[in-house]
Amino acid sequence: MLRAANLSKRYRQGTALVTALEGFSYDFPPGATAVVGPSGSGKTTLLNLLAGFDLPSEGEVELGGARLDRLGEDERAGVRLNHAGFVFQSWNLLPTLTALENVAFPLLLAGVSPQERRARALGLLEQVGLAARADHRPNQLSGGEQQRVAIARALALEPAVLFADEPTGNLDSASGHRVLDLLLEHAVGERRLVLVTHDLEIAARAERVLHLRDGRLIKVEEAAAV
Amino acid sequence: MELLLLVWRNLTARLTRSLFTWLGIAVATASMVLFLSFGEGLRQALTAEMGNFGPQIRVVAEGTDAFSPPLPELPPEMLDQIKALAPDLGILKVIPAVVMFRGGFDPATSFLFYGLPEGSDPRDFYPPAQVAAGRLDPWPDGAVVGAKKAELSRLDVGRPLRLSRDVTVKVVGVLEPASSMVDNFIFVPLKTLQRVLGTENYGVFLLLLDPNADVDEVARKLEAAVPGIDAQSTTEALKFAERALRIGDLIRFGISLVALIVGGLLVANTVMMSVFERTREFGVMRAIGARRRFIFGLVLSEALFLSLAGGLAGVLAGVAGSAVINLYTQQAVGLALSAVTPRLALFSMAIALVLGLSAGLLPARSASRIPVTEALGRI
Ligand SMILES: Nc1ncnc2c1ncn2[C@@H]1O[C@H](COP(=O)(O)OP(=O)(O)OP(=O)(O)O)[C@@H](O)[C@H]1O
Ligand SMILES: [Mg+2]
Repeated sequence: MLRAANLSKRYRQGTALVTALEGFSYDFPPGATAVVGPSGSGKTTLLNLLAGFDLPSEGEVELGGARLDRLGEDERAGVRLNHAGFVFQSWNLLPTLTALENVAFPLLLAGVSPQERRARALGLLEQVGLAARADHRPNQLSGGEQQRVAIARALALEPAVLFADEPTGNLDSASGHRVLDLLLEHAVGERRLVLVTHDLEIAARAERVLHLRDGRLIKVEEAAAV
Repeated sequence: MELLLLVWRNLTARLTRSLFTWLGIAVATASMVLFLSFGEGLRQALTAEMGNFGPQIRVVAEGTDAFSPPLPELPPEMLDQIKALAPDLGILKVIPAVVMFRGGFDPATSFLFYGLPEGSDPRDFYPPAQVAAGRLDPWPDGAVVGAKKAELSRLDVGRPLRLSRDVTVKVVGVLEPASSMVDNFIFVPLKTLQRVLGTENYGVFLLLLDPNADVDEVARKLEAAVPGIDAQSTTEALKFAERALRIGDLIRFGISLVALIVGGLLVANTVMMSVFERTREFGVMRAIGARRRFIFGLVLSEALFLSLAGGLAGVLAGVAGSAVINLYTQQAVGLALSAVTPRLALFSMAIALVLGLSAGLLPARSASRIPVTEALGRI
């Protein structure tokens, strides 16, 4: 499960206090949820709090049965490893590792044996159509391919929640759609996808869209179609 | 295990830089190994020497230091005094001798003369001594030359050897090589050397003891009975030499420490730079779920890997360098003066390890403490 209650984040900047997020409450249902809003509206800030990268100034975050706002740095990392996957806009991959090793990395952290890691990572690369690129380094892959490797990695431990921050931001529309398809494909059953974007067309493919403005949740839009 | 792969990948991704750092540590370690190998070599040579040294006690005038040739300061009365005490103390033989050193640092032009009394020959000094040519006994007016000395100064049997303006002896014997100090000695009759030095005194009394006698006790009793002497047992001399060697070791280690610290700073710099460049990577790892300890271990392993690989190369280079040095000292004085003993190799590796640890701790700490959001934000 993924739930936020009265979530706020304020940054101190010199003497001024910048409010990046204010009183955000939402219980994310299963399926895909898009978060949209103009630049600076607090989308990334929200994602950072939901994923436990950062602690809120106020409020509660619950992910995978754990209260992230009450946990320490390493405990939050543990929760992330077991319950969450991430795809960022760019620079997702570890540059010195091959595609296969990148996908296998979370499995390594989880203590999976080497043979099983390899087999599972290969399977995941196959799912995103990149089995042939298993031994390529990130700099030998196109932007779209890199994002697909990142998705394969995010899915490695079958997380309950997939977080994506502008995953298609750097891609042309064809590879963007391919990446989006892969992400949405996994937002089924009890699984959740939180998709941050400023592209309304992409957001429209989610089951619901949260609109942020100036750090506040101003509208929740349920999509009718799909 | 996989940590090692990550470490390896990162170090090879910045190959030139890693190689230079590795080389820096290798050079620092090699210089330390070489410096300290002299102490070890001397220690080994000395132990071997003492083991082959015939007389168990060496009596010199009080205040004579252990490494320079003793001056002729022991008067003839003292010889009588000690000879009188000999039967009670279990002293089988008292050999009065005189030592004279001529020349400089170059082994080819420096000469160490040992004046032995009549009835005594180099075997009293070095029991396994054997002649390669001529005879063993320098009396009445000859010289018996050690193998190395004979080779370096071309002293074959029959050659004249001038000791002073009006004293010249003839080489009557050349010893077999013994890989010992004896190789560099020239044995001459005691009377001849006393004449050259213009003295009736002796420089040293060499005492051969009954095998059942307690060497240290005899030495103690002698010193008590005869004022003004220093009775050094072989074991005591070894202990003394060991102390002097240890001081030398400390000084040499101090000098090589400078190189080591520079090497350590090199590693710290390399690792710190690579930490800074990889902030985003660490952010991604942490985002995926790596704990801080994992990042810490990763960075520390890099420093350790660099240091140990450099240390290993340094020890190997030190072994090679030591062999080259020995090639020279073997030729010059017939002794291997440098030795890379297992304990020196282990010590050097331990130093490299400490170096890696101390160079890696700070970068590892800072890498593991960057906030995730900040690390992810930096590209
Ligand atoms: N570390 C920080 N320190 C100070 N202010 C910050 C920090 N991070 C974010 N902010 C501020 O918080 C607000 C929200 O930023 P955030 O990055 O969440 O916006 P965003 O919706 O993701 O924008 P974009 O679409 O440009 O990515 C902005 O005004 C930003 O300047
Ligand atoms: Mg953003």
